[in-house]
Amino acid sequence: MQKRDEQYFSYLYDHYSGALYSIVLQIVPDAELASDVLQEAFVNIWRKIESYDPTKGRLFTWMLNVARNLAIDTLRSKAYQNSRKNQELPDNVYFDKNGGSTQLNVDSIGLKKAVQQLKNEHRVLIDLAYFKGYTHEEIAEIESLPLGTVKTRIRSALTQLRAYLN
Amino acid sequence: MNIQEYISSGIIESYVLGIASHEEQLEFERLCAEYPEIKAARDTFELSLENHSLTNAVVPPAQIKNQFLTAIKETGAAPVVNMSSARSIDKAVPVRKMYPGRYVAAASIVLLVTSTVLNFYFYKQYQSSVADLKNIIAKSEETASNNRVLQTKLELYQSSLDMIKNPNMAVIALKGEPVAPSGLTTVYWDRQSKDVYLLVSNLPQPATDKQYQLWAIVDGVPVDAGTLDMNNATALVKMKNIPRAQAFAITLEKKGGSQTPTMPIYVKGAV
Repeated sequence: MQKRDEQYFSYLYDHYSGALYSIVLQIVPDAELASDVLQEAFVNIWRKIESYDPTKGRLFTWMLNVARNLAIDTLRSKAYQNSRKNQELPDNVYFDKNGGSTQLNVDSIGLKKAVQQLKNEHRVLIDLAYFKGYTHEEIAEIESLPLGTVKTRIRSALTQLRAYLN
Repeated sequence: MNIQEYISSGIIESYVLGIASHEEQLEFERLCAEYPEIKAARDTFELSLENHSLTNAVVPPAQIKNQFLTAIKETGAAPVVNMSSARSIDKAVPVRKMYPGRYVAAASIVLLVTSTVLNFYFYKQYQSSVADLKNIIAKSEETASNNRVLQTKLELYQSSLDMIKNPNMAVIALKGEPVAPSGLTTVYWDRQSKDVYLLVSNLPQPATDKQYQLWAIVDGVPVDAGTLDMNNATALVKMKNIPRAQAFAITLEKKGGSQTPTMPIYVKGAV
């Protein structure tokens, strides 16, 4: 049984690791850290596979959300925030070419790429909601917008995103 | 509620991407179970998200896979989540789960189909066997009937031969007269019992309303010795008992015979 599990998860990894690594990178743009997050995400998938409910959606959707949540947790962790502070220079960190840095320009991959096509007022909200994991209430506070406006804009942005995905 | 409006409101994307609020999630799951259109729209978006994600995959560093597999091996067969649950992790992987009931059902269907086919096959065999048996019985009856005919004929020939071999038997050849030049019959006359037997060698086939009649000539007077049924004329035919005669002759008479001969003589012979 153990052997079979290994084969199964080995298959899941081979098939989905690239797609999940992509989403993790879009949230945690440090390649090394993202790799750690990916590995932990798969361990979580292995641990929590029991809680996956096929009636609520596809396995990939579930795995994607496991990876995304872990990436956002990492992003918000104190350790990450501290390391960011230490590293961060006034220059644009995303385009730092010196530090042997593994920071990637993730605007050109995956959902981020689709999000780039949205209007600015929409893009900001999606970035906060999806890639940073803020609730609508938190976003309303950050952006100083009425909650209703945040909700409306996010819904509107999402329907546009669907069109981009197709 | 307006389903289409709900579907296109962005709730599906919000739910699938995991940014819907808890209340929205609960409502969506409830409506999904209720309205197949909503579930179908969710499936469609999920699939396009999956395809998009696979298309935009970024290959992770190669060692991550081994680290992952090592990690789950070290954690062993004791998953951290739901340890209290008796269910094994294997059971929760839907694509790999074995349902014994399903196999039993599949096996039952296979057996049912096989049984039906075999039943049909055996029924056909049975029908064919019954037909064969009827044929054999009919043939056997036919053979038995033929046998009886042959038996009868054999007995007849046997008795004819016995009579011919009888030393008391007088043999009188009746030869063709002008109306039937090639006519030939033989009269066997038992001198002891005075029984008369006739053997036809050659006589023309009479018309259906006519019949050959044998006459015994007693002191110049023809005495009726019986009529001849040509259908029985393949062996010795027993005629009437004639105590005394000098000659025998056959004429063609009306069916049933005549008191005295009315027609010319076909064959005749002296004793």
